[in-house]
Amino acid sequence: MHPAFHPRAAVAIAQLDHFTYSYPGAASAALRDVSIRIGPGLTVVSGSSGSGKSTLLRVFNGLVPHFHGGRVSGAATVAGLDILVTPTRVLARNAGFVFQDPELQTVYATVDREVAFGLENAAVPQAEIAARVSEALREVGIEQLEGRAVRTLSGGERQRVALASALAVRPRLVVLDEPTSQLDPAGAELLLAAARRATADGRAVIVAEHRLSRLMPGANAFLVVDRGLVTETDPAEWRPAHAPAPPRLHAPGEEAWSVSGAAAGFDGVPVLEDVDLAGRAGEVIALAGPNGGGKTTLLRLIAGLAAPMSGKVTRPAGRIAYLPQNPVALLHRQSVRAEVQFTIDRAGGQEGERPERILRILGLTELADRYPRDLSSGERQRAAIAAVLPGTPQLVLLDEPTRGMDLAARCALIAVVADLRDRGAAIVIATHDEDLQAALADRVVDVARGTLTERAPHELPA
Amino acid sequence: MVVLATTNPVYKTLVLAAALAALVAGAGFRRTKRLFIAATLVAAFAVVLNFVSAHLGATVLFTLPEQLPAVGGPYTLEALAYGATGGVTVAAALAAAAPFSLLLASHEVMDALPAALSRTGAAVAAALNLVPAVGATFVQVSEAQRMRGWRPRGPRSWAEVAVPVVLTSVESSIQLAEAMEARGFGSGPRTHMSPVRMSSQDWVLVIASASAVALFAVSIAAGWAGPWAPYPVLTAPPLDLRPLIACILLFTPALQWRSRS
Repeated sequence: MHPAFHPRAAVAIAQLDHFTYSYPGAASAALRDVSIRIGPGLTVVSGSSGSGKSTLLRVFNGLVPHFHGGRVSGAATVAGLDILVTPTRVLARNAGFVFQDPELQTVYATVDREVAFGLENAAVPQAEIAARVSEALREVGIEQLEGRAVRTLSGGERQRVALASALAVRPRLVVLDEPTSQLDPAGAELLLAAARRATADGRAVIVAEHRLSRLMPGANAFLVVDRGLVTETDPAEWRPAHAPAPPRLHAPGEEAWSVSGAAAGFDGVPVLEDVDLAGRAGEVIALAGPNGGGKTTLLRLIAGLAAPMSGKVTRPAGRIAYLPQNPVALLHRQSVRAEVQFTIDRAGGQEGERPERILRILGLTELADRYPRDLSSGERQRAAIAAVLPGTPQLVLLDEPTRGMDLAARCALIAVVADLRDRGAAIVIATHDEDLQAALADRVVDVARGTLTERAPHELPA
Repeated sequence: MVVLATTNPVYKTLVLAAALAALVAGAGFRRTKRLFIAATLVAAFAVVLNFVSAHLGATVLFTLPEQLPAVGGPYTLEALAYGATGGVTVAAALAAAAPFSLLLASHEVMDALPAALSRTGAAVAAALNLVPAVGATFVQVSEAQRMRGWRPRGPRSWAEVAVPVVLTSVESSIQLAEAMEARGFGSGPRTHMSPVRMSSQDWVLVIASASAVALFAVSIAAGWAGPWAPYPVLTAPPLDLRPLIACILLFTPALQWRSRS
């Protein structure tokens, strides 16, 4: 492979030369003969789930190979330090990192202390820490959150705290690994704007994302990772790809479920009040709106997982399929096929239903005998969807099903949902994903501050 | 420490009362209600377990037929008293440890640790942050499995929920460790954003608590707080003014925090 030279290579902040890496025990390399140079400005990294994108990002701060182990050849440097011989905890002063899940990178309970954690580790003198924390919070536009409890923040705010924590150490390079995968559109936009601003002062910022349309206009370089190979292309040549909308085979039928004058919430505090909504067999309703607006509560109310505080909920006779947020958490059987079979068996073993059908639609046939937790993140997501959605459920409820999914996984999900719809299932999807809404939704309902507002699928929210 | 060092139920009860009073004074009854319920349930379990399983002692209250497996035999006042002492021990230990999570943020505990324990403390603080995530995963997995047709039928059926929750928790812990490594944790001596500054009230509290522990340790060594056992015949526990004073000193936090609020 020819080295993909960065246009701003004259001042490379990080560099990989013929870098090859294999995880411990892996038969094939996760990164193969990678030669790239990262200069100042915004570098966008794209690639399907399991392509080696996250592995590549973890090279820049030495998590690969120091934390994960494995075999390495070639050379890698960041800020002039040899990554292969410098521990991650030392590289951390030159390469900040923001992970995908905001909850799994928090150490302290308050925002200012959380941002100070990296500075304390770097033994920055106590007299300087408070000023550096304030500066970092200002840089990402969340100075108003100083002193707040981290647990009270939204996902978007938490990710900006994570970015501020990385910037506070004043690294030459900041790496963000799918930082918006768990955020609503508004939270994602604010985070990415902060990431773009962080390129000031000659810093390099690398962002890996599946949704590129928000990032590409400001990108200085574009790296595509495919089965461990990394190539650089001109950001100006990038064109957005959309998931295709499968044609509908039947018009929606009779009313299948309804919520009438219902209130629901937690610990006696209503999140939804006086809600009315109904769906028909073979109809797809998308629930949109900001995080915390009540979408999950409405889904749980329809599913029967939350009892209405007032009002009435009707459901169809037969099975209800429910895909929660983070569905990979429920995977634990010895194979993907066994996960699917479990649901089929518990659903009463519908005549002729075999796991192979949904595995084929989701492109999992070749992985059917693999242990689900050994799969890549995108494959795991598809395995979880297969585990929840086999057979012919009468009501299908999906909570943010495309979180962190690449385009191939989104297309597979759309195919499964369209198949269920055409077989007469009533479907409700809580989703921020405008592609998913456009491909599947017959109606879009905005859920915000506990109330519902209906709009046409392509109409923007009020 | 005091509650674990003695078998005397009077001293144990005083420690429990001091811990509960401190909690209510510091956090209010509403925030501590769940802990009260949990401590009561755990203590009740200890009482019942000993009462049902230990058929020792002279004062028989009633007898179940010996043929009954596990529960058959005499039920004695002594077994009840010993179980109650065990229950008070567990409840007091829970209540004494609770201020660390109910009254203090993780960074406050960290800041108060000596430098040698700073790294361990940070790791513990981070691990504690995972506790709510584990709870949320449990709720989510049990609901999702229920919707897939799973029903709780005996202890073995809970593997369908417990195994994925444990696997997810282990993966979460690894991710958190990776994130801490990526933030330079363990790279050498650390500094603190705001080191703890002790007020005069804090020193009063430290001195009172240290005196209580020291006086109680001396009391045990000198035989002033001798051991007590309900078997074979229940007797009143021996009392001495010196260990009593030690226990009363443990009410200092409750008095201080009450006057502060």
